[in-house]
Amino acid sequence: MARTRVLTALFAAASLAMTACGDGGGGNEADEVPQQSGPATIRLWLNGPDTPEPMRQWLKAEFEKRNPGSKLVIEEQQWEGLVDKLTTSLGSAKETPDVVEVGNTQAATFTTVGAFEDITDLVPKLGGDDLLPSFVEAGSADGKVYAVPLYAGSAYVFYRKDLFAKSGLDVPKTMEEFVAAAKKLKQDNANVSGFSGFWLPGQDWRDGAAFLWDAGGDFAVQENGKWVGALSKPESQRGLQLVSEIFQEASGAPRDGNEAQPEVPFCAGKVAMALRPGWFRGSLADKEIGCPEMLKKIGVFPLPGSDGEPAPVLLGGSNIAISAKSSHKELARKLVELILSDEFQTQYAENGLTPAKLSLADKLGDDEFAKATAEAVSNAKLTPAAQGWASVEGARILEDLFVGIAQGGDVAALAKKADEEITKQLASSE
Amino acid sequence: MIRSSRRWVLSTAAVLLAALWAFPVYWMINSSFLPQNRIRAEEPTFVPVDGTVAAYERVFDSGFFSALKMSAVVTLITVGVALVLAFLAALALSRFRFRGRRSFLVAVLVIQMIPAEGLFISQFKQLDAWDMLNTVGGLSLLYVATLLPFTIWLLRGFVAGVPLELEEAAMVDGCSRTQAFLRVTLPLLAPGLAAAAVYGVLQAWNEFSLALVVMTRPENMTLPLWLRTFTEANRTSDWAGIMAGSALIAVPVIVFFLIVQRRMTAGLVSGAVKG
Amino acid sequence: MSAPAATVPDERATLPPEQGGAAPRGRQGRDPRRRGLLPYAFLLPTLVVLLAALGFPLARQIVMSFQEYGLAQQFGREPEWVGLDNYEQLLTDGYLWTVLARSVLFCLAVSAVCMVVGIALAMLMTRIGRLPRLILQVALLLAWAMPHLASLTVWQWLFDAQFGVINWLLTTLGLDGFAGHSWLLNQLSFFVVAGIVVVWMSVPFVAFTVYAGLTQVPADVLEAAELDGAGGWQRFRMVTVPIIRPVLLIVGLLQIIWNLKVFTQIFVLQDAGGITRETNLIGTYIYRLGIGEGRFGLAAAASWFILLVTVGLSLYYVRVLLKEEAAS
Repeated sequence: MARTRVLTALFAAASLAMTACGDGGGGNEADEVPQQSGPATIRLWLNGPDTPEPMRQWLKAEFEKRNPGSKLVIEEQQWEGLVDKLTTSLGSAKETPDVVEVGNTQAATFTTVGAFEDITDLVPKLGGDDLLPSFVEAGSADGKVYAVPLYAGSAYVFYRKDLFAKSGLDVPKTMEEFVAAAKKLKQDNANVSGFSGFWLPGQDWRDGAAFLWDAGGDFAVQENGKWVGALSKPESQRGLQLVSEIFQEASGAPRDGNEAQPEVPFCAGKVAMALRPGWFRGSLADKEIGCPEMLKKIGVFPLPGSDGEPAPVLLGGSNIAISAKSSHKELARKLVELILSDEFQTQYAENGLTPAKLSLADKLGDDEFAKATAEAVSNAKLTPAAQGWASVEGARILEDLFVGIAQGGDVAALAKKADEEITKQLASSE
Repeated sequence: MIRSSRRWVLSTAAVLLAALWAFPVYWMINSSFLPQNRIRAEEPTFVPVDGTVAAYERVFDSGFFSALKMSAVVTLITVGVALVLAFLAALALSRFRFRGRRSFLVAVLVIQMIPAEGLFISQFKQLDAWDMLNTVGGLSLLYVATLLPFTIWLLRGFVAGVPLELEEAAMVDGCSRTQAFLRVTLPLLAPGLAAAAVYGVLQAWNEFSLALVVMTRPENMTLPLWLRTFTEANRTSDWAGIMAGSALIAVPVIVFFLIVQRRMTAGLVSGAVKG
Repeated sequence: MSAPAATVPDERATLPPEQGGAAPRGRQGRDPRRRGLLPYAFLLPTLVVLLAALGFPLARQIVMSFQEYGLAQQFGREPEWVGLDNYEQLLTDGYLWTVLARSVLFCLAVSAVCMVVGIALAMLMTRIGRLPRLILQVALLLAWAMPHLASLTVWQWLFDAQFGVINWLLTTLGLDGFAGHSWLLNQLSFFVVAGIVVVWMSVPFVAFTVYAGLTQVPADVLEAAELDGAGGWQRFRMVTVPIIRPVLLIVGLLQIIWNLKVFTQIFVLQDAGGITRETNLIGTYIYRLGIGEGRFGLAAAASWFILLVTVGLSLYYVRVLLKEEAAS
């Protein structure tokens, strides 16, 4: 899940896995895990706070009602360190959870290696073409489906109505208007130190991606069957130039900062616009975390693209999958069915997340937040579907690129260097 | 006169250094009493005068004691076993000459150099095969192995520092070998054992990576795993909760230290005995 | 802790005879306790534990460093033998050597500072009254006992560009240039901050361990040396250091080992700011190169490489050690 980088690092420390995996011969029986029939206790791993307690209670009660004698145990996991924990636990027939949630960008890591159960035959029952297509794609490998969408969410723009009014601005309709507004807001509030017309910390390529994609560029493309860095292409260059402009003339965020804790500068009155996921509203509304008194001065709109349609922002969300080593696959399948049921998915919508099924989009409601969510997701994009993409993120190539641009570096030269590194990473993991 | 005024200067310097070193700790405690939106703000709050204990209430309500118990059990077992094993090994290494002694010493040293954090995946597989995942024994086994090299080396020095003649003299005075050991040698080793115990307790108490993969079930969480649940307790991390939880985690270690610290200074007195 | 007198021959002369234990220990060869199986029995439990916890994983690591071993293999696919490919890929990467040089410099600088500050604090502890000593010890222990999650977060907050206490202090003092100053963006500044954090975390260990060693230095010996006219520095060098030498050696060695492997602090700071490529040390680089993407074979090769470098760096200690053993 793209948004989870909060205090990332500490826990990746966990995985200073200078080494590896004795498989201890525990490998090849993946397909032959003895199955137990009849009632049993099955374990579901859910991550972070996106599935609130009432939803978990409902899921447990409903599952146990539909499967008399069986029990559902939900174990909450943290995003940080999740990949390490999945890497070990999914490999153990004794310890594996039966059903797991993974970030949509993490799903590919596990589908191609045989950690998940093939559930292609289950897909029609779960909703078939109604399931969010890009998530199904992220959970598929070699024509088989291993993971299906759980929920989605994308960022939209939170803006200060009062500052817009003071500068005589309307909600921008196109990318051009948006950038102009961001610059003007910064100029009009120059007396506030570190003020951002549009808040974009230097490392935040995930939100900066929208400008690259809107200009028609991309991080990497497939050429003659090989993935190569695409940041030097003219379209990408245009997008990155715009990013550079925003860094220099619209943002006042730290040039090497990350996007954690956006509520702090926002509540300190240093931000006029920020591109954030829907839950940001909850942070602002919390009187201990945010600044509820400011909330009524805040409006939202989807980031507009050059053509006036919503700009392509990074698509976040989760997939759900069954462990290949689970010994209760029948029950696990029933659980996945229940999780993808309209009843359960509607509850995600009520919590402000986009449900896994296209047909449920209208359940989000019709206030401005709901509308912005729906519109943002409508045109959202995923990072390049290259098999080795995780290693590009792992090497922090894009953070370095964006920090370099934020510092006022030469866009073309920085992009060229980043392209070389991206190509190298993508090639070496093929 | 000169001596006492110099002592006074040194004492003042020590207290100032203590304040400097403890400042981040103070900042943690300070933050634990603040609402989240005042922890990082335009104007830093240096003293939480109108603070809140809400974070502590949250922390106590979310399974602190169960994690405390788990950590306490693992730490006690780990440190106890590590001290006994390391002590026996130190005894063998400093009081006996035997074949393989030198290779053993070097091997222990090299083990310390291996980037051992990375072994966790293989260690997981192995504990899995032995049905030791999610057990106190399994985690303690890994911890003991981590502590042993340094502890052996430290204790070896201390054991070698106790002259055999002292023990022999005690035996001449009618003590049995065991009595001589308990009455004469052991007290002289106290500072070394205390230092090793402090080291071991801190390592086991705060270890995160191995606990993460070995203790996969929520009911088996140790304190560092428990603390981490606050990072995603809500849409944004519960920083005040993390700071409050950290402060609580540190308390038992400080208490433990206050108990053993007398032992660490005992050597100053006993050292004179040797002369 | 009078052992070193016995084990380091060239220091022996500098020690008062009552410290020595050298002469009697030299005859230990005839002590009956040294024969038989007893020492092996004492070592057996340690061996069993080390083998149980590390034996299999280490063996796997060797095997894996010659294999193409990734996540797919972790979940059951047959690993493919690739000979020295992993090592070749590692060593032909020019950037690795930059990172290695950087790591060695950082490691030596930080280790030296840790040792000097730690020993100084330990000496200070022996010269002050009970109460100030306890205050200092508890302060150090607090720093050591603070969970890493909390301490690294607090350090980030202190150095935060927009809302950090340090920048607030500096701007309040009138240095307006520090408003919004990023401490991590400049490479040197990044490593200074990282160094401060590492030193802050490591010094308590050095100070406590050395202090435990110092408690074994008999007061009467120091007094005798003082009566002989030895100054403070001479007393430290000629009397104290030889006595606590084994402790210094092992603590110094550990500092080098740990600081070469330093990972968490760098990783966390890179997330907070700075440019990753300019600030990678060997730990974070190998992590990003191999483990982050589940390329475990490559990572295994890397860890053997790190081991080799560590052995190289600590060769001095290992040689002293072997000399000690040969002499005894």
